[in-house]
Amino acid sequence: MRDAVPTLLGDSVTTEPARPILAAEAVSKSFGGVAALKDVRFDLRSGEIHALMGENGAGKSTLMKVLSGVYADYEGTVRVDGEIARFSSVRDAEAAGIAIIHQELNLVPELGVADNIFLGRERVVAGLFVDRKASLEAARGLLNRLGIELDPEARVGQLRVGEQQLVEIAKALSVEARILIMDEPTSALSSGECRRLFKIVRQLAADGVGIVYISHRIDEVMQLSDRVTVFRDGRHVWTRPMAGLDEDTIIAAMVGRNLLDAHPVNRPKGAEPVLSVSGLSLAVAGRHGWRDMLKGVSFDVHAGEILGIGGLLGAGRTEILETVFASNDGVRGGEIRLDGIAVDIRSPRDARRLGFALVTEDRKAKGLHLQESIRDNVALPLVGRLARFGLRSFERERALASRAVEALGVRCAGTDQTAGTLSGGNQQKVVIGKWLATGPRVLLLDEPTRGIDVGAKREIYDLVFKLAADGLAIVVVSSELPELLLLADRILVMAEGRQTGLISREEASEERIMQLAAPRSTFGRSVA
Amino acid sequence: MTFLKALSRTKLYWGLIAIFLIGVLFSPVTSSGRNIFLSSGNLLDVLRQVSTTGLIATGMTAVILTGGIDLSVGSLMAICTVVCAMLLTVPGDTAAIYLGLPAVGLAVLILGAAVARFIFLNIEKSRSGEAHIRDIKLGGARGTVLPAIAGVVLCALVLSFLLPQMQTKFGVFGVLLVAPAVGLLFGAVNGVIIVAGRLQPFIVTLAMMVTALGIARLTAGQNNAVLPVYTGSNATADFDVLRQLLFGIVPMPGIFFIVAILLYGAVLRFTPFGRYVYAIGGNEEAARLSGINAGRVKIVTYAVSGLLAGIAAVLYVAQYRQGKPDAGAGLELDAIAAVVIGGTSLMGGRGSLAGTFCGVLIFGLLSNILQLHNINSNLQLVLKGVIIIGTVLVQERNAYDLFAQLRLPGASRRPVQGDTSVEERTSRETLSLTMGGKKE
Repeated sequence: MRDAVPTLLGDSVTTEPARPILAAEAVSKSFGGVAALKDVRFDLRSGEIHALMGENGAGKSTLMKVLSGVYADYEGTVRVDGEIARFSSVRDAEAAGIAIIHQELNLVPELGVADNIFLGRERVVAGLFVDRKASLEAARGLLNRLGIELDPEARVGQLRVGEQQLVEIAKALSVEARILIMDEPTSALSSGECRRLFKIVRQLAADGVGIVYISHRIDEVMQLSDRVTVFRDGRHVWTRPMAGLDEDTIIAAMVGRNLLDAHPVNRPKGAEPVLSVSGLSLAVAGRHGWRDMLKGVSFDVHAGEILGIGGLLGAGRTEILETVFASNDGVRGGEIRLDGIAVDIRSPRDARRLGFALVTEDRKAKGLHLQESIRDNVALPLVGRLARFGLRSFERERALASRAVEALGVRCAGTDQTAGTLSGGNQQKVVIGKWLATGPRVLLLDEPTRGIDVGAKREIYDLVFKLAADGLAIVVVSSELPELLLLADRILVMAEGRQTGLISREEASEERIMQLAAPRSTFGRSVA
Repeated sequence: MTFLKALSRTKLYWGLIAIFLIGVLFSPVTSSGRNIFLSSGNLLDVLRQVSTTGLIATGMTAVILTGGIDLSVGSLMAICTVVCAMLLTVPGDTAAIYLGLPAVGLAVLILGAAVARFIFLNIEKSRSGEAHIRDIKLGGARGTVLPAIAGVVLCALVLSFLLPQMQTKFGVFGVLLVAPAVGLLFGAVNGVIIVAGRLQPFIVTLAMMVTALGIARLTAGQNNAVLPVYTGSNATADFDVLRQLLFGIVPMPGIFFIVAILLYGAVLRFTPFGRYVYAIGGNEEAARLSGINAGRVKIVTYAVSGLLAGIAAVLYVAQYRQGKPDAGAGLELDAIAAVVIGGTSLMGGRGSLAGTFCGVLIFGLLSNILQLHNINSNLQLVLKGVIIIGTVLVQERNAYDLFAQLRLPGASRRPVQGDTSVEERTSRETLSLTMGGKKE
């Protein structure tokens, strides 16, 4: 079947321009009722660089996980060299010559470069011992051919992130890969490292490897790729050759039309800001000293106002909420004022007592006690407050939970139901209910509708509007631009830990946010 | 299915009943036809024997519920037996005094202050009423100064009771104050290191286990020293009260064990502290983000674990008439086994002291049965190990689960794509929901 395999290691190259080496037809995939991919198609020819673009949650990574065997249960057809393939594991896909480089690095920091490249496929002497010499030799040869200057004996943990990315590429290509999927490979690279990576990618394509290139950075896609496919909301928008395309066309396709109808906003706003943050910063200890995750972030939120925070993944959006709430590690800086009075928040406990509430992005790991009842979840922050002379008041706890369940319209069998058995939307309502019970002034919402179906999203939106109308100051982080535009009165846009814009509802558009959110090389990347 | 459900809910007690029945059926019989196992003397003996392990398992349960573990309890008990025996038998300046009195002073100081604050806080709470949900902060003197004064006063009272005893020898109440205080302090040190250093409880308490053994030996003065305690000759006669039977029926150690289980059980069930213990074990990050002072709760569980080891030490000295540095060797493992047999999850967040009570009794009855049959002590160990695994296998699964596995091997437990480990833990509940039909 694979008579002439164009790979880097074997150097015979046969080009078949017409027939795609990898194709997806009518592929759909959903997670617990939430559709992530709807009837999408995609194809890749050998020797081409095919960019796949779309907003966060557009379905890019999901498709790549289908193509590389991570997800085995999907609908539709995947073809390799025109023949139907169904990978049930990553190993199956690897055997078919498909390698994937994930956004997160999958390296063992304690091992050397060569050891990482051949991890799980060690060269063995006498059936027992790792042949270090042979594996170092092979690694050296591979790195040379790729034009990567790295010592195969160096410990991966001591390399910089950019270099680690290159090790990941070498590892992917050490299997006889003729299809290489790269998911946001430059998200952690400096511009110099990017240039080096592009050179290698072009060389691979020239050698006949088909490359799927996923990236947010439009400039980089425009100078690198041959064809572009755009996804939006899990659907295929179009596939076009790069030649003749301009930036605006691509952005327009990614963003699409606003699917959510505009909501009438006429909320009275307080004159003085409830929450006022200035010069917020966060530094965490990294492998190469302190790393700035946030720097110089300042904003105000008034009573009845909803402030949106937008930006790409890793731009520092969640960090803003966590730093205000003092729930993260690292050195926090800046001044936080509540009703004009500077407050010192050192723990989530302090934050809660002052009237802050944080609904986290990761509901299951950080927001809920899944194995406990709705009642216990809702009452948790207030158990001590409701107790009298050291004894819990089960009656008050039950009343509190019942009020929350009723007020938020949680669909459940009763407050004794286990939280883990609720649907995503209802779980989210329980988390919000838990915080509303504490009588907050400021509500911090991180991706409030992640993993929630459309109907429940609408309910969460209505709830947020109602809470704002009741006079809460609300901050919402969201990766979905339509959601931000719908909810927020003003939008703070972040890129690489810095604030790149604070725009009002009138001037906000998806295009404008995308422009502001795009990473700029002028901001020295702290990793470099 | 309701039968299975009931069976599954009460499975804790079935194990206990089963082992009891085994004991009755296979018990040796006296010449007059009386069942030895069932004799009140034998059963009360079991209660007396399990008390030491039981007290330690009680403290261990709360630690394990928070997702931690305490390996140091055996060594802490050893220190306390040495301190206790020394105070009982040697008058004047001893190592035990230098270790014990500061410990009591500090413990009582903190306790007094905490109690005073607690009272002020609750008075304030009842005043503020329902309308205001925000946390209450104690301002002015009531926040700091008055609790401090209360602590100092209590400290002075307790020391004025203890210091005169220094000249002679300590009595039973003296050692019942000092030994638990020493345990409490060492336990609190465990907790503080775990919380402040963000270290694994396993390694911290392992280090404490070694350290405490060393301190016990240093306090005793020489390696493997045994400090004999003979009430009436080298110690005061009132210490004998711990060997006696209450109302002529129940042995004193058993009373201590049962009271500890009831009190701590009530604390876990009815107080905010207990709620936090479960919340931290279930999902520490979510608990912390809910504004719970997880560090403080954890420190208290380790401190109480040490305290109970101290009480167990006094009972040990009374029972075996000696204090020695290797008194508690291996006890921590017996306690952990009893807690796990009682159905408490080592992952934390799930379990109860009622379970631990059953676990301790199952363990004790088992030893008793094996002894009654004169089974070789080494073989006893093997059998115990096998039975621990068997019991835990039953405890860790509920009846639905066992049946589901029997009928459809693997089919119902296939992980869903995208499952996280957290979801994995709830899959059992989901399963029991679907199989049990309607939820009540």
